[in-house]
Amino acid sequence: MVVSIKDSLKLFGISIMTCCAVTVCNMFINYYIDLMSIKDLIDNPASKAFFDAQKMTATVVCSCAGGCLFATTVVMLFFYIKHYIDSHSKEIGILKALGYSDFRVARGFSVFGLSVFTGCVLGFAFSYILMPVFYNKQNEGDYMPDVPIRLHPALFIALVILPSLIFAAIAVFYACFKLNRPCINLLKEIENVKGKNRNGRDKETFVAEMRSSVLRSRKTLIFFIAFSSYCFSSMIQMSASMDELASEMMGLMILGIGIVLAFTTLYIAVTTVIRGNAKNIAMMRVFGYESGECKRAVLDGYRVSAYIGFALGSAYQYFLLKIMVEIVFADIEGVPEFNFDIPVFFVTLAVFIVVYEGIMAIYGRSMKAVDIKKIMSE
Amino acid sequence: MIEVKNLTKYYGRDESRFKALDDVSVSIKDGEFVVILGASGSGKSTFLNVISGLETIDGGDVLYDGRSLSKMSEKELTRFRKDNTAYIFQQYYLLPHLNVDKNVRMGADLAGNRDYSAYIEAVGLKEKRKKFPSELSGGEQQRVAIARALAKNPKVLFLDEPTGALDEKTGRLVLDHIIKLQEKQKFTMIMVTHNANIAETADRIIEMNSGKIVKISENTGKKTAYEIGW
Repeated sequence: MVVSIKDSLKLFGISIMTCCAVTVCNMFINYYIDLMSIKDLIDNPASKAFFDAQKMTATVVCSCAGGCLFATTVVMLFFYIKHYIDSHSKEIGILKALGYSDFRVARGFSVFGLSVFTGCVLGFAFSYILMPVFYNKQNEGDYMPDVPIRLHPALFIALVILPSLIFAAIAVFYACFKLNRPCINLLKEIENVKGKNRNGRDKETFVAEMRSSVLRSRKTLIFFIAFSSYCFSSMIQMSASMDELASEMMGLMILGIGIVLAFTTLYIAVTTVIRGNAKNIAMMRVFGYESGECKRAVLDGYRVSAYIGFALGSAYQYFLLKIMVEIVFADIEGVPEFNFDIPVFFVTLAVFIVVYEGIMAIYGRSMKAVDIKKIMSE
Repeated sequence: MIEVKNLTKYYGRDESRFKALDDVSVSIKDGEFVVILGASGSGKSTFLNVISGLETIDGGDVLYDGRSLSKMSEKELTRFRKDNTAYIFQQYYLLPHLNVDKNVRMGADLAGNRDYSAYIEAVGLKEKRKKFPSELSGGEQQRVAIARALAKNPKVLFLDEPTGALDEKTGRLVLDHIIKLQEKQKFTMIMVTHNANIAETADRIIEMNSGKIVKISENTGKKTAYEIGW
């Protein structure tokens, strides 16, 4: 078996992503189910309106957060599998040359379901730790009778077992699809060079050409960088509005999830792009390109997607909260009017610029550590 | 003028530490074509890497027109490589996502060389300038690596077994290209090889064994790439 359980541990990004998704989803679904158990106890219109708003909130949050994180986890899983196949193409090529079928090799990738399982279990447990505080905060004004916390085993199957199995199956089928390459290409580590810009207009400098080629060669990373800044922007701005709209606890939870997701995806994207271009960076340094020029060639191309992600995140959090306030909580009294918070936007943008550019500068400096001998030892 | 004085290089630590270069001294004149000849493990590649500034010096020194490599900071070494040297490896190391034209531009840009197409023509790849490395044969890829190195207008060209991965016919063709370009442009050329036949094309042959220079000989009967055995 090419893929080992140890390899699945390296997919901590997926574990973090699923942990966040299951924490949020389990908390809200569990609350939704428990909320339904007190439905008959609601006896006045104000309580009914609050009850309906709570139901709607749970549905919207689960769909938005769960759906978004599920889709991102799938992209991340595809990315890891492709990366794994590219970096182990020789071993896989040998197996195929010996007569192993694509499916037999791909079966090994089912262990990647373990990372999903780990994340889901952690998220499931974490959500139960947060639940008492969450239930209290959800009904802070005592608009409804107290909602008792109950453990629902079916949710463990739906949010832990099922996703793990589904992701394991997705991993096997996607790996099978990606392994469908001539054996000799795998053995000789011949990459399927995509995004060939054969007749594209020449750029001003080689560094600009390199930047454009790095972007074309790993398009998934454009998504990850944009997703990272999207999480940073939307979650931080949303958490700032939570003090007034919901509770401090919700605000802190959103802030925590946003920062963890943003930094995890950024870390994965940047380390992948540097490792994937280690030979190119080493070659540039052999020729006399300075580390600043290497950084401009390898990392600076992602800046546009990072700022687009930030803008999308700002718009997303605004429209989501606007819908929540004006549609979901329309019948509830005392909900403050929600407007785009310009000061919070600019503060978040300033922090984002400092953090993003700072991280990129640190990684740029780390390119000095790319060993020139790496290319000579092969 | 390159002066190598009592050069020493160690690898490993403690008990596994060994001397890869042992008190090596030699001078190389400007415009000279020198071959470093030796068996595997003789220290020839280490010697090339150290004198080209890719590896650090543990003892002794390397002087380029009196400038000491051992005293240069990392930044100064990068600058030095940018202004003076180019490298051709056995495994080519072309950038896979860039076509021939853009790979050559990698070297040309450093020298501010805007008209680098002459180098692509010189290695006979004018018709393939839009091809990607994966679409070229080994010999063609090595010729791209030559054009990339020369487009930088180096004062010194280092070559580490440049024909090592090529068959005889392609190897001779590539070697012929390199030698002719060196004769025309008069840059200093230092080539590492284990093939004694290839050494016959050089002006001078430095033989190494166990990290030491065992023999330096002027090659009075210099041959072309098509006259030597393979």
